[in-house]
Amino acid sequence: MAIVTGSRRTRKLEAALVYLALALLAAAFLFPLLWVLGLSLKTRPQIFSNPPLYLWWPTLEHYLDVLSRADFLRAFLNTLIVSASAVLLSLGVGVPAAYAFARFPFRGSAFLFFGLLVMRMLPPIAVLVPMYVLFTRLGLATTRLSVVLAYTTFSLPLVVWIMRGFFEDLPKELEESAWIDGATRTAAFWRVVLPLARPGMVASSILCLQLAWNDFLFAAVLTNNATQTLPVLMAGFSGGDSGVDWGAMTASGMLVILPVIVFSFMAQRHLVAGLSSGSVKG
Amino acid sequence: MGESSRAAPHGLAIPAPARIAGRAARRSHDRWFTPLAVLPTFVVMLLVFGLPLLFSLYLSFTGWSLSQDLLGGEFVGWANYQDLLEDPVFLGSLGITFGFTAAAVAAQLGLGLGIALLLNMDLPHMRAFRTALIVPMMITPIVGALCWKLLLDPSHGVFNHWIGERIVWLGMPGTALAAVWLVNVWHSTPYVALILLAGLRSLPSEPGEAAAIDGASRLQMFRHVTLPLLRPYLLVALLLRTIFEFRAFDNIYAMTGGGPANSTMVLSMFTYLVSFVRFDFSLGAAASWMMLVMSMLMCLVFITVIRRRDAN
Repeated sequence: MAIVTGSRRTRKLEAALVYLALALLAAAFLFPLLWVLGLSLKTRPQIFSNPPLYLWWPTLEHYLDVLSRADFLRAFLNTLIVSASAVLLSLGVGVPAAYAFARFPFRGSAFLFFGLLVMRMLPPIAVLVPMYVLFTRLGLATTRLSVVLAYTTFSLPLVVWIMRGFFEDLPKELEESAWIDGATRTAAFWRVVLPLARPGMVASSILCLQLAWNDFLFAAVLTNNATQTLPVLMAGFSGGDSGVDWGAMTASGMLVILPVIVFSFMAQRHLVAGLSSGSVKG
Repeated sequence: MGESSRAAPHGLAIPAPARIAGRAARRSHDRWFTPLAVLPTFVVMLLVFGLPLLFSLYLSFTGWSLSQDLLGGEFVGWANYQDLLEDPVFLGSLGITFGFTAAAVAAQLGLGLGIALLLNMDLPHMRAFRTALIVPMMITPIVGALCWKLLLDPSHGVFNHWIGERIVWLGMPGTALAAVWLVNVWHSTPYVALILLAGLRSLPSEPGEAAAIDGASRLQMFRHVTLPLLRPYLLVALLLRTIFEFRAFDNIYAMTGGGPANSTMVLSMFTYLVSFVRFDFSLGAAASWMMLVMSMLMCLVFITVIRRRDAN
């Protein structure tokens, strides 16, 4: 709903003001990230130079250093394994349920469905306290499996919510003609519906991957040095203030967020649906 | 379900027995489709959510320590809850959580609405600005918080360089809380802006055009046309942000750890410290359940709102 009013001159002035406001906002929003990106490309003396350097010849030394560290690479691999497993598990479990919710509502389906929403929205720390105790007793604590299971508390609801919306938008005639041709519901779901729902599965995978990649709390409690993920490794940098290696910290930080920014832009169209648990369509 | 389980109408041309058998098998198969499709989700919900929460409810009424059997805790009634309600740090964290949530959500809504209105202008290059403005919400929260920590560093931070002083921003209660608030606003305003932008794009254009023809000013149009139409989206953004700020943790953990002098001790941080630093899981469970009840109330409001909207 953009409404055009006023003469040409006032419109031009207004456009200039809008651009100015947006440019200032964008500068303010991006500044922290750009400044830290700059720090990561400075040598150690340049990082601590007073007054700060605004122009310098960038160096990749911190990136090369970080990428040769075993703990960073292990955390990177752990994050990848844990996030991807959580996404696969949630898709496998959640997609058939989302289809049933969309097509064959049953007694109690609304209750179960909103139960999933509540699961996504309750504070993770509240689930984590008993989960830690139970996982410790089961011998699961500090394993990657425990983190994957913990991540389903947010990724399963996300998959079900987004996929239900996708299935509802698919024309029902496609399955109906398959049923008439003698296909069972399983066969029609598998051969007719699922291939059409592929874009939705990609979108929900990316959104889950983003949440899992960024999670700190579950991983901080449920992992040890061998199984820790990148956000946990990053938090370790903030320990002793004076001893912080700014170069390694900023370079690792940039490497951690690079993949997630790429995923997020890939799923830009679905971000709104994902972040509002499907209550607003983008 | 009803239709698929109904018996076949008789009196029609009798199909071959094999086909009858095939159809009957298909029907009984179809009857099981929905339960089987939902069962795994139900099981996972029970395992990672239902059972842990029940166990935590049990823990909150016992005095339990890690060395005891899982169900070996001694029943203590409401003692854990009483301890919490007598603990000044917990009571303080209640106030900080509510104040922090309200202040963060208010700023996010105001700024997010402004950004959404600007991005909704019919001008070239809006996509580029939109892309630039949503970057903060994509950044891993813990990394975003660490970036800000470096900017605010007392001796080498760029902010202190600019103002020429050595302020320990995260070392004083007032500025620490303000800094944590600022980082949350920076991180989550883009969420609000995106939701409201989606709302603005979906609004019908006729009411605005009619008001423009009637000579309404920009401000009048915003107040009397756009804002009322946008209300459902504002409400969704308000509720979602309230639910998510209420559980704020990552930024605070990385920037202040709840300090200085408990000035940034939100409920999540309190529960974390009680459970995983003091290892008092019973008290942690009681604190969790207080948080759960409050969040469930907020979720109920949210669900009621979106169900009512979807019903219309």
